[in-house]
Amino acid sequence: MTAAAALDQRRLLADSVADYCRRSDPLRRARTLRGTDPGFDRSAWQEMAALGWLGVGVPEAWGGLGLALAEQAVVARGLSAAVMPEPVTAAMIATRAIVGCTDGALKATLLEGIVAGAILPALAWQAMPGDIDPSRCAVVAAPDPAAPDALLLDGRACFVVAACGADGFVVAVRTPDAPALCWVPAGTPGVSLSAHRLADGRPVADLSFERVGVPAGNRLAVGEAAREALAAALDEGQFAIAAELLGLSQRLLDITLDYLRTRTQFGKAIGSFQALQHRAVDLYIHLRIGDAAFDQALRQAGDGDPARRSAAASRAKARACETARHITREAIQMHGAIGFTDDCDVGLYVKRALVLSAWLGNARLHRGRYAALVPLDAVEA
Amino acid sequence: MTDPRAPTAAAAATDWDALPDDVFRLQVRAWLQANCPEHVRFPAGRMHWHECRDWWEILYRQGWIAPAWPRALGGMGLSPIKQIVMVEELERHGCGRMPDQGITQVGPIIIRYGTPAQKDWYLPRTLSGEAIWCQGYSEPNAGSDLASLQTSAVEDGDDYVINGSKIWTTLAMDATHMYVLARTDRSVKKQEGISFLLLDMKVPGIMVRPIRNIAGDDEFCQVFFDDVRTPKSNLVGALNQGWTIAKSLLGFERLGIGSPRRPQLAFARLEKLARARGLFADPVFMDRFTALRLDIADLSAAYEVFVEQVRRGEPLGADVSLLKIWATEAMQRSSELMIEAGDEHGALGGDSDVDGVAMNVLAPFYSSRPGTIYGGSNEIQRNILAKAVLGLPQ
Repeated sequence: MTAAAALDQRRLLADSVADYCRRSDPLRRARTLRGTDPGFDRSAWQEMAALGWLGVGVPEAWGGLGLALAEQAVVARGLSAAVMPEPVTAAMIATRAIVGCTDGALKATLLEGIVAGAILPALAWQAMPGDIDPSRCAVVAAPDPAAPDALLLDGRACFVVAACGADGFVVAVRTPDAPALCWVPAGTPGVSLSAHRLADGRPVADLSFERVGVPAGNRLAVGEAAREALAAALDEGQFAIAAELLGLSQRLLDITLDYLRTRTQFGKAIGSFQALQHRAVDLYIHLRIGDAAFDQALRQAGDGDPARRSAAASRAKARACETARHITREAIQMHGAIGFTDDCDVGLYVKRALVLSAWLGNARLHRGRYAALVPLDAVEA
Repeated sequence: MTDPRAPTAAAAATDWDALPDDVFRLQVRAWLQANCPEHVRFPAGRMHWHECRDWWEILYRQGWIAPAWPRALGGMGLSPIKQIVMVEELERHGCGRMPDQGITQVGPIIIRYGTPAQKDWYLPRTLSGEAIWCQGYSEPNAGSDLASLQTSAVEDGDDYVINGSKIWTTLAMDATHMYVLARTDRSVKKQEGISFLLLDMKVPGIMVRPIRNIAGDDEFCQVFFDDVRTPKSNLVGALNQGWTIAKSLLGFERLGIGSPRRPQLAFARLEKLARARGLFADPVFMDRFTALRLDIADLSAAYEVFVEQVRRGEPLGADVSLLKIWATEAMQRSSELMIEAGDEHGALGGDSDVDGVAMNVLAPFYSSRPGTIYGGSNEIQRNILAKAVLGLPQ
């Protein structure tokens, strides 16, 4: 695809997302659905499938759009600007892991089901909070003595976003000789969910696996293929979450600037006060720096080298967390008491930002990974 | 007889702008490596004329002293994007800034607004270094509010007679000439009564008093005018058009002030100090160090966005100010982290031996101060962004 065609493609996607958001009143839905399980609406999910968003990164052979991370980021950014309740990014991460797996019947079935909206996948991989190293999963897979070629899973995975509404899990496991990725349908005996309520009102769950049988056909990838599929899914997921943080930040800054222009005190718009103007400018600068860093990191990630991809993902996520942190906190303050109320939409953005910032590594973890991956004498263009 | 210091015929005949950008970049880089004297690389502060005159003359002879000027007037005739390449390569090589206001400020103004006689007289002398210029804008009571300046120029026969004072005049002690904003009409709105004058610093009535700065250096001065006469032929543009003329320089030149290069150099010093102090093993330090490192890397990304805009031939908007704000404040954060990393060395004036490495821990602390103050303080930049970009009400 030429650069111009890619730009057109992104514009079309962004328009389609913005149009859907205008029609579907996502802020009201986010309010209605918070505190419920699964915290989103399966009929909205089907609409998103029909619009192609669930298969943006899925190759065309499996019914997807066959587009790149940049296009997935456009969708993530647009939906997040409206605080959409549906777990599109969580599904995208699990989907990306499957795309990276070895071709086979299960992979084809899953991807076709995902693109159609019939299968909603979630990725279960993380050993413990604060650990973003994909090589350290805490689910062990041992040969099943009762069934040749089958595996028995034992262990746990924390912070599985969209677990409560998922139709199945891509589970990262350690076999005696190599890492592997398995497909475990929801409701498989031995799988239990311990759900928690996220700050934004959606559920998240820790999964535990107790002698969970996985037939040979449910092994998606083993060894290097599994390792790289998981690493790529997490890196790209971090990019998608960064895009969400930036989309949300941009919208919330717009909302806050509108408030500064219209709210009057002392007989004039509060946006005429220099104390607020300078702080508003700082938020704008954070957003511009965040966007520029994201775009450059995306280009750096595209050269195919996994270490550079991980470093770029960390750079994008660390920056996006900072951008969102500044904008969300100041949005509350600049709205004054109304910004502290549940009725005000600011809170929806603030809480979504808290969730996105913590998910798949917060700013501190990503700064640490960036420092570990990029030697100091490297040119940081 | 030809002047042996004048540009060579080959230099004058070369159309540098015709080269592809990357070829040009490599040629500049190679030439700098072969020709730039060591003593002008990475200077601690602003260089005085006597410290860099030889470098000026080398550039002049090569025909490279004025990248932005048209070739017909002795410049390189570079497009904006090649000017950026040139600046980037000079910065990359660590070439210190010379007293270049004639080249970057008043030269382009004379080219655009000057009379034929002004062009013929001043432009060649500015190129050769015979005329070294300083900028007479700020006054003791006109800093951020520059338009309220009070230094007056009153017509008397064939002259204007100037009285008043200018301040923060960088390297005025080295200058042969000054370009001055002076009040020529007190009866109109403050911006509409200002004229742009040229002045020979040797005429009677001028007193230059260097001001020692916080780092202990004499880089800027206060200049006093007591019935100083400059001929009417030294008025640039129309009478009372000075404010418009002074503001006309705001173009892609503003990119330079937001370049990531200076923060990168400041960060490189911090890195050197941290290595000497063994701080890379300290996770608290490392988090702050990496945050700063990313602040500067992400500034580079934003800078590139604006460079691309110039490359596409688009004018820069008021939003480019964000680079200056971020760059200068990142430098200050870097200098603060350096003081902290230096522990007791952060209390020492001048060079000290930091675990076997010679360093001046406080130098970046001092050198990062002016950036947030000059060129429109960061507060003024924020005012501009608030109104022109965010559309916040008055």
